[in-house]
Amino acid sequence: MVGMSAAIIQGVPATTLDTDIWVELPARQYIRLWNLVKRQGGVALAPTMYALVDGSLVNFIFSMTGLKKFAAEYEQAREMYWNGLKIRVLPLDRIYQSKKASARDKDMAHLPLLANVMKAQKMNDEQNKQ
Amino acid sequence: MLKDWKKVYRRIRGLRGLSDEEKIMIARGLAATPDERWQMHENFLRSHGLFSHWERKASGFKW
Repeated sequence: MVGMSAAIIQGVPATTLDTDIWVELPARQYIRLWNLVKRQGGVALAPTMYALVDGSLVNFIFSMTGLKKFAAEYEQAREMYWNGLKIRVLPLDRIYQSKKASARDKDMAHLPLLANVMKAQKMNDEQNKQ
Repeated sequence: MLKDWKKVYRRIRGLRGLSDEEKIMIARGLAATPDERWQMHENFLRSHGLFSHWERKASGFKW
């Protein structure tokens, strides 16, 4: 999981309209993801954007700006339990890095919040150790 | 867990450049479990009638 949904489950007080999932697949194979979603009752809104049966949105991402290759980031990703599943989540500093590199207005707007949460997290962890 | 947010708040109180309200928001986020964090996020969207794609379309959102 990447993007703001990954930031939210790591404690960033924000909201997002879709869940971004980075997949290790060539973009031309998006049909495999579409078939998976379709089998579960979802509908396609765009080639990589799907509405699931509960109305939540999933956006599959094939490449991330400003990051290393999938395998390298996957290895460093945080393992977390969420909704009864063990998932890999892009750490906050890497989310920050990808948003900074993409430089879209909506990504730049998230940077101060991400930076503050990372500072708070560090402060919390340090004082927790004492 | 979310109920322990005051403990986290005390640890991050010294964070510069943020209001108390912002520190409380961050403390709640950090104290919560991943499932509690996601629940807060979904509750926020639901409270505005924006949880599902279909609700958002009806409110004029593209997605």
